[in-house]
Amino acid sequence: MPRILDIGVFNAVRESGLAKLMPAIPRITVGMGTCGRGNGAEELYHALNEAIQHSGLDVMLTGVGCFGSCFQEPLVSVRLPGSPLLMLRHVQANDTGRILEGLSAQKMPSDLLYCKIEEWDHITAHVRYGQGYPDIPQWNAIPFFKGQKKIVLRNCGLINPSDIEEYIAVGGYQALYKVLIDGRPETVIEQIKASRLRGRGGAGFLTGNKWDFMAKAKADTKYVICNADEGDPGAYMNRNEIEGDPHSLIEGMIVGAYVMGSTEGIIYVRAEYPLAVSRLNKAIEQAREYGMLGQNILDRGFNFNLQLVQGAGAFVCGEETALIASLEGFAGRPHPRPPFPAQKGLWGKPTNINNVETWCNIAPIVSRGPAWFAETGSAKSPGTKVFSLVGKVQNTGLVEMPLGTPLKNFIYDIGEGAGNGRHVKAVQTGGPSGGCIPVDMLDIPVDYESLAQIGSIMGSGGMVVMDEDNCMVDVARYFIEFTHSESCGKCVPCRVGLNKALRILNAITSGNGDVDHMSLLDELGRMIRECSLCGLGQSAPNPVLTTLRHFRDEYEDHIVAHRCRAGVCQELALSPCENSCPLRMNIPRFLELYQEGRLEDAFDSVIMDNPLPASTGRVCQHPCDNRCRRQSFDEVVNMREVHRFLADSIYQSELFEPMLERLKARKLAPTGHKIAVAGSGPTGLTAAFYLVMLGHDVTIFEERSEAGGMLRFAIPEYRLPKAILRRELDLIEGVGVKMEFNVRVGFDLPLNDLASRFDAVFLSIGTWKESWLYLPGTELKGVYPALPFLESVAKREKTSMGKRVAVIGGGNAAIDSARTLLRQGAQVTILYRRERKDMPAIEEEIKAAEDEGVKLVYLAAPHRIVGDADGSVKAIEIVKTRLGEYDKSGRKRPIPTDEVQRYECDSVILAVGETFDQDFCRASGLALKEEGTMVVDRFTLETSRKNFYAGGDVITGASNVSNAMGCGKQAARKIDERLTGEERWESLFPDVEYSRQAPGEPSLSRRHEGHCLPAKARAQNEEEVVEGLSAQQALEECQRCLRCDLRAAVSAK
Amino acid sequence: MPNKTISVRIDGELVTANEGETILEAARANGKHIPTLCYLKGLSAVGACRVCVVELAGTDRLLPACTTPIQDGMSIKTSSAKLTLYRRMAVELLLVERNHICSSCVSNSHCELQAMTQSLGITHVRYAYNNPRLQVDMTHPRFVLDHNRCILCTRCVRTCAEVEGANVWEVASRGIHSRIVSDMMDKWGQAKSCTNCGKCVQACPTGALAEKGMSVMEMVKQTDNVTRLAEQRASH
Repeated sequence: MPRILDIGVFNAVRESGLAKLMPAIPRITVGMGTCGRGNGAEELYHALNEAIQHSGLDVMLTGVGCFGSCFQEPLVSVRLPGSPLLMLRHVQANDTGRILEGLSAQKMPSDLLYCKIEEWDHITAHVRYGQGYPDIPQWNAIPFFKGQKKIVLRNCGLINPSDIEEYIAVGGYQALYKVLIDGRPETVIEQIKASRLRGRGGAGFLTGNKWDFMAKAKADTKYVICNADEGDPGAYMNRNEIEGDPHSLIEGMIVGAYVMGSTEGIIYVRAEYPLAVSRLNKAIEQAREYGMLGQNILDRGFNFNLQLVQGAGAFVCGEETALIASLEGFAGRPHPRPPFPAQKGLWGKPTNINNVETWCNIAPIVSRGPAWFAETGSAKSPGTKVFSLVGKVQNTGLVEMPLGTPLKNFIYDIGEGAGNGRHVKAVQTGGPSGGCIPVDMLDIPVDYESLAQIGSIMGSGGMVVMDEDNCMVDVARYFIEFTHSESCGKCVPCRVGLNKALRILNAITSGNGDVDHMSLLDELGRMIRECSLCGLGQSAPNPVLTTLRHFRDEYEDHIVAHRCRAGVCQELALSPCENSCPLRMNIPRFLELYQEGRLEDAFDSVIMDNPLPASTGRVCQHPCDNRCRRQSFDEVVNMREVHRFLADSIYQSELFEPMLERLKARKLAPTGHKIAVAGSGPTGLTAAFYLVMLGHDVTIFEERSEAGGMLRFAIPEYRLPKAILRRELDLIEGVGVKMEFNVRVGFDLPLNDLASRFDAVFLSIGTWKESWLYLPGTELKGVYPALPFLESVAKREKTSMGKRVAVIGGGNAAIDSARTLLRQGAQVTILYRRERKDMPAIEEEIKAAEDEGVKLVYLAAPHRIVGDADGSVKAIEIVKTRLGEYDKSGRKRPIPTDEVQRYECDSVILAVGETFDQDFCRASGLALKEEGTMVVDRFTLETSRKNFYAGGDVITGASNVSNAMGCGKQAARKIDERLTGEERWESLFPDVEYSRQAPGEPSLSRRHEGHCLPAKARAQNEEEVVEGLSAQQALEECQRCLRCDLRAAVSAK
Repeated sequence: MPNKTISVRIDGELVTANEGETILEAARANGKHIPTLCYLKGLSAVGACRVCVVELAGTDRLLPACTTPIQDGMSIKTSSAKLTLYRRMAVELLLVERNHICSSCVSNSHCELQAMTQSLGITHVRYAYNNPRLQVDMTHPRFVLDHNRCILCTRCVRTCAEVEGANVWEVASRGIHSRIVSDMMDKWGQAKSCTNCGKCVQACPTGALAEKGMSVMEMVKQTDNVTRLAEQRASH
């Protein structure tokens, strides 16, 4: 047992450690932190150990801490003498054979290879492992590690945390030795002060100043304490720091104790961290054996005892005065400061408390100096900070970044975004009492001041990423529930205030919210923040205050419309599919009714929810597919195709007339109110249908000579046959909607006339005007906007586009144009400036276009259109783009490069977005937003003009059929309420009896898709591409439903 | 040994205070009123009710006057619109937390919570009442503990520990579930360490601790006696 008493022994221990770190035989390490163990590292370690023994190979196997990339665990590193350290990821016990074989072949299995480390800066030492393997990326070339700077985590995942010699090998305890030999505590305090290191527990107080107070306090006994009571949900920095490198913490504490004149140290660690506790115990024991703790440390006459105390897990014990109370045996309740612990702390003695990470920064600052430390990070917040990046990002784990790094780098570069086509909505920093930062503020630098400025905190470094599936009201409720249950109860604002806030939030998320609740919450939050006794209460309202500030619309949705867009608040939704549907269709009901053999009842359920079931059954972008819980089992239920099937079955049979009679019979008694609807697109048709059903006298005014809007004149025949649409229009006219064609509202029929003739006017004129791109050559013959082109085709007008056509854009209009052109015999190329995954068009439409032979060119921005001598299009030139930084839409911004490509073509279609003719709005007193949409009340859809309502694309900008219909439905309900002064909406929907029995075992049949015609054949004609489901398939699809609409009755005690 | 004198500003007025005094003590010594609930002269201050918060020039933070030592040069504001709002809210929260029914309370008309409610001009509460189901401990031969009326000021805890030295009372559980308990959560009547002195009853600002046999409005507390005893004890 080498008790180190002089530099000779110290160096001998160091050599011995180096021989273990870089032995002359192969060394294999397994990441054995809690994250690694959770992913099977223990089994892996045992398997490796057994395989090595069995093979008789001379290999050194050792466990290490976490290297940071928790999402790749279990991590294994393999090093052959003289070679770089190779990191392997997702290694399982059955990979051991391949790894051992790889040792002799000097080649690791390529599917496991992650990265390599040729040399490593341990800050206190520099290790060169060796060079080679040019094909394997360097560790810091991997997106997750790019930009990270490991100071605190300098040894984590590389050295054996249970072996003090390996820590000494990488320069450990040198700082301590230096400080003891110099024997000038005040110089060290000056160094810490000069480094401007700030407390990493969250408050960010200058560590040097805190140490100075303590050093100046006069007392026989003084205590230094490490606060390792990490209790934030979603944060585990301190745990991994201890598990991976316990000596770094211990060395920092010994240095601190020496310079502050303390002889007693305590590490207060959560009992819920058993691995950290056992590694710390081992480390303390070894440090004592080697002469770093106890009497006469390193023979320099300094005595210091360190003991470990396990906390019982109260969150409030992270508050230093509560921690001290807990150490003294009292309940963990904080005391008012002053007196500060440096004056009167543990047992009334001067006490210095620092967070784990603060202590871990001490040895590097002492050995490299404050100037080196200040090189990293920002001026006011130097150094690095470890964050646990969790939630809705692809890469999760521990990230150590220089302070001041913009938040978006964490989310998009290191975390690589939400993935799976999802969009990041907000980030919560600082644990349960941090604030939620919306995605459009992600440019802010992560440092103490910037976060505080926008209502959040650095906290201990939790970073929880949220996407559109997170309800921000529920997030606030969840965190308040946490802080509420962790409140010690001493002071009134925190004890009762949080309780009241929680009750209000519970009311809002269960549909019992009140409009006053938002201002009550805001006032309560401010009072709790300003009046609470300790940091817990002072920061607990942050989630509420920031979500109220940045996500007010979600609160309003819950309170006013009883709607949770994210589908989290169960009491506000029937089922996830219903909640996702813009028309709020009762999907489980029609699936169940058809399953019961009740086709007509099933259709009646559908038609009352959605008056265009056959059309939407074909062209809806089916948000329900993203929500169906069946996806966690196999594949989502094909709900859209079922309602298409139901509609087709009724429309094409003798059941149509009786169904229409039933509908008419359900109409409410005539009210005598007259309502005008401008535009017969899906929005107008839907509004008109419901208003007629409610007993109003409704007239639609349509500019064209036929009804249907975009359904009729933009969506091509092969997606939605006109005959099908005709049948739906028959139904809507059948219930009594009147239509007047060739009347353009605002031009042929002034709004003032409408106002005098009707009690209410609903404007749903759609966005028919193609946005124009201003680039050279658009004036040439052969350049067409997409919508007029599609309209001409729909009207069977002759179009002559030539043989080769380029389409610019990535939305549905671009894809529709391309596939239509293909059917006219043209060769079509779509040019899009971003990548395929960024295209707004429906995924299966893009796929169909590719199958049919449309050429898609990505990362291509139009540069200019080239004409020939007589002014016709000859070619288009595009600039290749590369993807730069993430923009506010969460997509990478395309940046033009120098590379220009030329595509010969006869015509060009511009499909870059749609808008509408706003002049008549301006002239008739309808307010417009800056982005060119009409101003309406979000809930009542009233415009700035009395009795005028608007919905559909004119208020949302170009969207899709089901969103538009959702607007129409909402408008009908609100117009009826306003005209009659009653809530009559629910009376339209009589209760239908259907089984509320949950399926015992889910049907095992797989998802049925509508059959597609072969791509080659269908591209020659206009025949409908997707055939519907057969009756048997539809039935099987219905049986696949898991019935999320049913609730088990659980009585709460 | 006379304390060093310092000069501070309270509500704009330049006054002198003794070093080591709290803001509250300095203010009261100079005739300035700061409302308090959990504070009782003579006992240690805990800063629990937050009714005594004041503003300090130069910071955004509000400070509890009862626990914050006054320092040379401080400029304190004891009333403002914000302070009134927050004091009202603190009392409002206490009123909804438990079941404070004045009309049936022994301390009606002699209750510090009631008096504070009136002096702050609170006429109604904006938060829903919690209406918790709480117990009344009638096991003690002379006194009653009614949790419905307790505001967790911990004056009883401190009186018993600091004046009587019996340490009968403690706060058990946490957050909204906090309760005053005697001994090891025994019934008060079974609490062996209780000396039956009754000082906790006199210290209690509401009807939570009362003498048995009292009817509505009859319980008048002698808080001054507790203060006097505490000060006498401290001076020994």
